Amino acid sequence: MKKHLLLWVWLIVLSPVVIYAQSVKPTINSTLSGKVIDDKTKAALPGAVVHIKGTTHEVVTDENGEFDFITGQKLPYTLAISYVGYKSGEFIAHKNYVEVSLHATTNQLDEVVIVGYGTQRKSDITGSVGTVSKNLLNQPAASFDNLLQGAVPGVAVTQSSSQPGSTATIRVRGGNSISFGNDPLYVIDGFIIYNNNSYANTGASNGVGVNALSTISPSDIESIEILKDASATAIYGSRGANGVVIITTRRGKKSGTEINYSTYFGTQKIKKKLGLLNASQWASLVNDINVSDNKPIIFSDSAIAALGVGSDWQSAAVKDASIQNHELSFSGGDDKSRFLISGNYYNQGGNVVNTGFKRYSARINYERNISERFKIATNVFGSQSVEDKLFGNAYNSINFQSTSFSNLLQLSPVPKIYNEDGTYNTSSPYTATPTNLLQDITKTTNRSYLTRVLANASLEYKIIKDITLKVTSGADLLNTKQNYYSPSFAGSPAGSSTGYSTQGYASVGTANVTTWINENTLTYDHVFQSKHFVNVLAGYTTQHQKDETAVASAQKFPNDLTTFNNLNFASTPVLSTSDARESSINSFLARVNYSYLHRYNVTLSARADGSSRLGANNKWGYFPSIGLSWNASQEDFFSNIKGTFSNLKVRLSAGRTGNSEVPPYSSWAALTPTNYYFSSTLVTGIAPVQIANPNLKWETTTQYNAGADVGFFNNRVNVSFDAYYKKTSDLLLNVPFPLYSGYASSLQNVGSVENKGIEFSISSDNIRSRDLTWKSTLVFAANRNKILSLGKGTEYYFPIAPTGYVSPVIVKVGLPVGTFWGYNTDGLLTAEDVSKGTPVLAGVPQQQGDRKYIDTNGDGVVNTADKHNLGSAQPKFTFGFSNSVNYKNFDLSFFFQGSYGNKIFNFLQQKLELPTLSLNASSTLLDRWSLSNPNGKVPRATNAPVSQVTDRYIEDGSYLKLKNISLGYSFSKGLIEKIHAKQLRLYVSAQNLVTLTKYTGYDPEVNFFDTDNTKQGIDYGAYPSTKTFLAGLNITF
Amino acid sequence: MKKLSILFALGAAASLSCNKLVEQPNSIITNSQFYKTQSDAIAAVNAVYSTLNSDPAGDFPMYGRNLNLLTGNGSDDQIFSQSNTNPDVRALGTATYVPANDRIKKNWQQHYFGISRANVAIDNIPNIAFDTTSRSRLVREAKFIRALLYFNVVRFWGDAPLILHDPASIDVDALKVKRSLKDSVYAQIIADLTDATNLPKTYGAWDKGRATSGAAHALLAKVYVNRKEWDKALAELNTVINGGYGYDLFPNYKDAFQKATKNGIEHIFSVQFETALGAKNSTQNLSTGNFGSFNPSVYPGDLPADSTLYLMYSTDDTRRDVTFFTSQYNAATGQTVDFGAPRLAKFIDYSLSLLTNQSQSGINFPVIRYADILLLQAEVLNELNGGPTAEAYTAINRVRARAHVPDLTTGLSQADFRDSVFVERRKEFIQEGMRWFDLSRRGGTYLYDALKKFPAKTGAAVKDTLFPIPQAEIDLNPLLSQNPGW
Repeated sequence: MKKHLLLWVWLIVLSPVVIYAQSVKPTINSTLSGKVIDDKTKAALPGAVVHIKGTTHEVVTDENGEFDFITGQKLPYTLAISYVGYKSGEFIAHKNYVEVSLHATTNQLDEVVIVGYGTQRKSDITGSVGTVSKNLLNQPAASFDNLLQGAVPGVAVTQSSSQPGSTATIRVRGGNSISFGNDPLYVIDGFIIYNNNSYANTGASNGVGVNALSTISPSDIESIEILKDASATAIYGSRGANGVVIITTRRGKKSGTEINYSTYFGTQKIKKKLGLLNASQWASLVNDINVSDNKPIIFSDSAIAALGVGSDWQSAAVKDASIQNHELSFSGGDDKSRFLISGNYYNQGGNVVNTGFKRYSARINYERNISERFKIATNVFGSQSVEDKLFGNAYNSINFQSTSFSNLLQLSPVPKIYNEDGTYNTSSPYTATPTNLLQDITKTTNRSYLTRVLANASLEYKIIKDITLKVTSGADLLNTKQNYYSPSFAGSPAGSSTGYSTQGYASVGTANVTTWINENTLTYDHVFQSKHFVNVLAGYTTQHQKDETAVASAQKFPNDLTTFNNLNFASTPVLSTSDARESSINSFLARVNYSYLHRYNVTLSARADGSSRLGANNKWGYFPSIGLSWNASQEDFFSNIKGTFSNLKVRLSAGRTGNSEVPPYSSWAALTPTNYYFSSTLVTGIAPVQIANPNLKWETTTQYNAGADVGFFNNRVNVSFDAYYKKTSDLLLNVPFPLYSGYASSLQNVGSVENKGIEFSISSDNIRSRDLTWKSTLVFAANRNKILSLGKGTEYYFPIAPTGYVSPVIVKVGLPVGTFWGYNTDGLLTAEDVSKGTPVLAGVPQQQGDRKYIDTNGDGVVNTADKHNLGSAQPKFTFGFSNSVNYKNFDLSFFFQGSYGNKIFNFLQQKLELPTLSLNASSTLLDRWSLSNPNGKVPRATNAPVSQVTDRYIEDGSYLKLKNISLGYSFSKGLIEKIHAKQLRLYVSAQNLVTLTKYTGYDPEVNFFDTDNTKQGIDYGAYPSTKTFLAGLNITF
Repeated sequence: MKKLSILFALGAAASLSCNKLVEQPNSIITNSQFYKTQSDAIAAVNAVYSTLNSDPAGDFPMYGRNLNLLTGNGSDDQIFSQSNTNPDVRALGTATYVPANDRIKKNWQQHYFGISRANVAIDNIPNIAFDTTSRSRLVREAKFIRALLYFNVVRFWGDAPLILHDPASIDVDALKVKRSLKDSVYAQIIADLTDATNLPKTYGAWDKGRATSGAAHALLAKVYVNRKEWDKALAELNTVINGGYGYDLFPNYKDAFQKATKNGIEHIFSVQFETALGAKNSTQNLSTGNFGSFNPSVYPGDLPADSTLYLMYSTDDTRRDVTFFTSQYNAATGQTVDFGAPRLAKFIDYSLSLLTNQSQSGINFPVIRYADILLLQAEVLNELNGGPTAEAYTAINRVRARAHVPDLTTGLSQADFRDSVFVERRKEFIQEGMRWFDLSRRGGTYLYDALKKFPAKTGAAVKDTLFPIPQAEIDLNPLLSQNPGW
């Protein structure tokens, strides 16, 4: 028995368990019938699921345990049979009648789940681990982070914008930190990656950030597990506080060589256009503004009529775009080796001109058992992504200019877009320079190349019977090259990198990030007296990272021919920049898993991490955890109710995890360079920029988790429930300093934040019949975030706002991180309000028809003291609902995802509702107040009224999306045998087909400030959102 | 098998040679590495100057933008512009600002940021071994900037935290201090400037723009004028005028604001700006504040309070068309665009095409011009002698003559002459960071009376003679008291 179990453990470490019969000559048959029985009692097993591997064919046994169906497959093929309470088995069918016997297990949760540094029986798990279902992994996506949306309870994903290749904000159970590092840790085939998008943004180009995760091809992914609670994540100690996403890529199987080709083609369409004024509507608005300024009107009635609709800049800049994906893989293996070679090409056009995203990637996964005790494996992956994005604000810059697209929306509709001869019209009385923004967007180069090579190799050696040594080494090389050229006729973006003002501006930048890792673990695995299952892991790991960036720019080119390719053609150099940073983490880790009869389980883990980034006095942090679980349904007393109540497991865990994601050199008394001029010559100044903090230490999160997994009706319905409480203390916080000290802040460990919440998921087999199956999964999570303390004496602070604006958010004790802060309004000032002297906003002359601000504190004036909490970008709850239906050869899946209670600051709409004499405005202004429209909802036309953060623009960002719907058909054997295919599936799908939301901007999934925790949910003008229609094919030989 | 085991052992051992956790900073300089050589000392002082034209967080610079929001928009010279998106900027233009105003806070921060860098230089440079002449000079330059900034601080806010050293620790409690009395701040300013008067009179070809002995005397004179210590002020003014510094007025008023004539005979101290080449060009907002577009409906950053400002100049006054424009020639269309109302023109860099981005303006911001010294001399003589002396008339008339304006009416009373000097100052220094200081230093309700003439300055009140201490500072340090009325 001992030996048996060991072998079993050994096998799961190596590869998925596969049972094989001897190989036989292929024969052809298109029907299959058979029976599923218990291997001991030989009793029939009704309701067992029989699935042909590599296809979507699936049937369920009838009351006699029998099944039959038309397969259209060429024999032999592998059947996967599963039945609750029995060990799932695989069986190779080589004739048209099969009898399959399954082995009853004492535990029905026999599956193996991938956890940190190994795998674990699902029954023994004590923590909270979520698995992204296969169904969702098959969705087309540019980057795998898109696949996590709504897949696992407690994982919230928000796209920064709809631009192809853009970043996403991922939060597992809410954000712990205020200032740094809220993203989960990624572990890709054992390689630890902390994703930092700033590494992929050199500063040479501008616009929204490039997503470094988009370098990884989602179609290579076999499974994604998300570790959420401390029991599961503490083995990653320092970096486990924000959850861990474990990604396993596809590997070969023993069953001979298989060739798979998948492809899809599609088209993407703009989901929505914003309502803007047309030329004649805008002209009459301009007239109204002039009237309010006591100035003569500019457009006569006949001139207004003659203008007509004018130019529609929004429509001129968008188009339908194509999307395509090709994936070719060869995989296979024999008793000793397994391999997978895959290549992928993905091309997603952008719906805005001159934008898009392309990726080329290749992968080799190989493993070989050199001897019974010795195994080697390697995973090598390389890719290049090419992204053309809209220019605009610099990445993560505070000196933001709006994106070029939102500026385009504001162009006056009066001037023509094109001249008669088809060239761009650059003559407009409403723009500062004789340029055309649509031409700028079309002709400006703003391209990023991301090249990533991720390779690791591992050796496993069984030193003695129960002890295995594993050594893994790997490297992650991420190289970004960015090219930017603003031609001499381009009048935007505003600022120094504009071609028009500089006579051509070119910039090239590179960023190289090299990470290498070495992990050494010893595993001891033993079963005592067939009852006590013990697994002990101990290890030492070390990781080193170096990132280097360089940007060179030049301006004043004699012509636009060489662009960024040769800066020597420029006559005016611009100061070059470069940077280099290094950091290391060394760790010792240990874990003990103990299970008594798979009934009572304990997990103890601990990790000691030393981070170079922290202060000299506090490099090391210690992160222990404990997890307990009890499979109550294994107890004797449970057998009475087992008919309906088939499984019950209770889990409890507690532990500490950490975060040290501050930039390198944060603890030093650092000096930085500045510039000044003497005699018109540049000189360098050097001055302190931060005060030393040798005590800078780990931010620690203490988390408690209680959960239960319940199965009903022979586990046809499974419910999982978790409740958690997290408290993060010693926050890595930029503590505000009195400004007279000369420093705005100092990075210290003060303050605390709590997150608490509940999560549950229900998955059920709604219908399980011979021809029709329907499975669905609902996930739901609610998280509440609150700042408990910001350190002594600090009750609140405002994050730095873009220059020229006040901060729309506040960081305040008692409120969630990043709460919107502004005025309440109540429609418009009425004549009655004016006559009775209702308080109006200080400093702005106001009259009837102007915005009515509320004197919240009742002191008789409306000023900044009346600003208050207007809600936060953090949702009250998030959910996902996925379904898959199979009927004969057809399969249908659909997936809803949503968020409720999150707020969005619609800054773009605010801008569009502040009319000026030169910029276009929102069509909501058609309902502006005037003497002739006394019931108007929007303030009267005035010239550039003051822009205040008000509740009018803090909109409800709740949404429900039909993220994906797809319908497929798998061909029967007879039809495809002529092309020697084993399997062929065709499908059509649509993404983002339906969005229900009250949000008036393009899309409620928006984060202008990327992953900045304090500035979530701000829409300073995003890329328009799209829906996608696809047709695809999947063929296996 | 054995071989493999050995390989494994070797591999594991090699990898156990762990990475060092001690950081070796390669892209920053740390405090302990610096302040060792003469060039370190020079760089430390350059950094002090750079606080005048840049912001640590990439905001607009103090001189060239943020200071003017208080001295220009806060005075009767300017109101807000429709292009001001920040409500707090608009509040300054309408005198409705509150202690939480972020531009008041920004000015406070930028001033103390400069003071802090000066403190660091003054504390560290004396410990560096190099020739004493150069060493003393560098310390005195830092003292000059520290005095300049404290002089602004004490005029804006009155009593103020007097910080003379870098914080010793990161303990916020240790940073909490009370406001020092105005007189103590002035004592420090005078001490620093007195030392700075030992600076060189001029610099070599590569150091134009550094603080000079003349600048120190000139600033000292302004300090004494503010304190109404007329005798001392006169002594300093006479030193500037007769001390062999060679200062004079440019024959053309316009030359005071041209790139070609920067650091010229009239410039006693200027904040340096350049076109392109550095990090400063995109944050240099002197001229984008003035000219943004040929479209008259696109507003620039700053606007004159109303047309009375333009109309107070006689048509012969050459300052009018340097200070304002009402039309501009558009080279792209060959047409002259009429802007309807006068707009501010002083800091437009005409050496750059108007169509190109004026944010690359290379015009210096004049902090002290010789015209200021002459007008102060006229003012001080009038105060000292119970009325204007002939010398006082000569001084003011030199400034008027340069602007092609006839001499001032003779025989004015002391009060009338005083008012005439202030009118002259207003005409001479629009947008040069003077007006609010000139209004507030006359005391009483003078500032309030000037503001309330403008209907747009709805919130004007007597308390405006001092700006409020930023609310966030009081929240962080309750030891700070607020100014009266706020």
